Amino acid sequence: MERWVVVTGIIAVYLVVTLAIGLLAGRRATDSVAGFVAGDRSFGLLVMYFVTGATVFSSFAFLGGPGWAYSRGAAAFYILAYGVLGMTPFYWMGPRIAHLGRRFGYVTQAQLLVGRFPSRGLSGLVAILSLVAFVPYVTIQMKGAGIVIEAVTDGHVPLWLGALVAYGIVIVYVLASGVMAVGWTNTFQGIFMVTIAWTLGLYLPYKLYGGVGPMFEKIAAVRPELLVPPGLDSAGNAWPWGSYTTFILVSAVGLMMWPHLFMKAFAAKDDDTLRRTVILFPTFQLFLIPVFLIGFSGVLFPEVPPDPDFILPFMILRTDLPALVVGLFCAGALSASMSTGDALLHAAASVVVEDGVTPFKALSDGHQQFLMRGVVLAVGGVAYWAAVGGGSSLVALLATAYGIIAQLAPPIVAALYWKRATTAGVISGLLAGWITAGLFYYEVVARPLGMHEGILGLLVHVPVLVLVSLATRPQEKAHLDRWFAS
Amino acid sequence: MTLRRARTLTGIYFTAMTVAVMWPGMVSVARIEPYVLGLPFGFFWNGAWIAVAVGVLYGLDRVERRYRTPSAPDSMGGGDGDAT
Repeated sequence: MERWVVVTGIIAVYLVVTLAIGLLAGRRATDSVAGFVAGDRSFGLLVMYFVTGATVFSSFAFLGGPGWAYSRGAAAFYILAYGVLGMTPFYWMGPRIAHLGRRFGYVTQAQLLVGRFPSRGLSGLVAILSLVAFVPYVTIQMKGAGIVIEAVTDGHVPLWLGALVAYGIVIVYVLASGVMAVGWTNTFQGIFMVTIAWTLGLYLPYKLYGGVGPMFEKIAAVRPELLVPPGLDSAGNAWPWGSYTTFILVSAVGLMMWPHLFMKAFAAKDDDTLRRTVILFPTFQLFLIPVFLIGFSGVLFPEVPPDPDFILPFMILRTDLPALVVGLFCAGALSASMSTGDALLHAAASVVVEDGVTPFKALSDGHQQFLMRGVVLAVGGVAYWAAVGGGSSLVALLATAYGIIAQLAPPIVAALYWKRATTAGVISGLLAGWITAGLFYYEVVARPLGMHEGILGLLVHVPVLVLVSLATRPQEKAHLDRWFAS
Repeated sequence: MTLRRARTLTGIYFTAMTVAVMWPGMVSVARIEPYVLGLPFGFFWNGAWIAVAVGVLYGLDRVERRYRTPSAPDSMGGGDGDAT
């Protein structure tokens, strides 16, 4: 049997199993908005652990991570540094958010914000900007899936078909089962991608260089600049410390502010589950170490891939690995892509309907669910069009997505912990942050020290939030008492 | 250990980590040698802070659990034992 047939067969089995898990999972949830969006608040530790890990680590980690290590060396370590820093505050914030969710019936981030700072405009604003950050993110995931399938099947399954089949399946299980499907498929996909990463990450350096130590010694002899932080920029010049540091900061601040991750606090069964998820998260994150090892093992590889992000599939195909391993690797990469893509599609639908539509027009529970499924299809369609056709300008937007999302952190912290914060303060802060980040992103103003535009946005955002809040009338005591009562 | 102390120590660890994995803390360890577990030193440094973080968080959780109201059993979704 031909090699690509075996590989395609393994991918097909993986996809069928994923679909089955996704469809079966939905039978455990009630047919309601709370069931579709928050899984009736029923996620236990196992599911929360893998949902969080598999959702955080997407195609960007599985393909981009080795790509960064391969082409930019130690610059990739920034991805390693921010996860734990971003996750730890959730040990305290998560249970508080979950508590408010149970008390007031919230299932999205903007509902929580508007609960503290009543304003339909705020809700709409958060919904629109979340969507702007989401679409390019989904696009990247689809493209990642399509590229991997096309590469490992020797082009027998082209990008448009691979992306269509993989995401057709994602859309079917998200439509049918909502967040329950996301939870249980991510558990399966999470186990898969971690196992594949550790296996390949230790196997490739061993096979090509005789071990991890010998590999780095050889790299150090030929290209030492790759091994010294902060590594290189995409053009191969030294990356400034200012960029390295602010990339870590903006990613740490933004990490849990992504609506698809934040909303999982509403899906957890209880507070202890949330806390343990935070505690165990670093153990999942360590899988980036073998992922980087894969990238480094390509540095001295004689041939050069068409794009650094393809280093993983490129090497896999050229090191005479058995077809079985190639197929499993591909399934691992698809796991990384689909486990993030499904959470994004699901969250986009929840946010658009719950925060962008229902505050302005009352809808029945059934109509909301119907509309959410429509939005899943619409967002999936737009992202697919961008992934297959041109739409590269859309992809460029992803670079600034963290800058947009990180601006949600100050209002969330103010909502939870600062009694003196006011609606006017929060809205002015958000607008100031987004406008500042935008000006620096489009280089209307030059970035000092190569700093990330999201951090520059926060530097303006926080003082504006504080000053405008202090200059406006405090919120009524009755409202604050109700909010802060625990 | 008291709750206050456990939280202070955790705070110190993560503040130290924040400084250690970026500028300026990372500058002095931005080198290749010595190799640890086969990894260049800068790489090992990042991984080690994460690995130790698991232990720190676990220790914090043990203390936090002792201080939480005992009437919030795991299986009861509505039990809000959050003392903060």
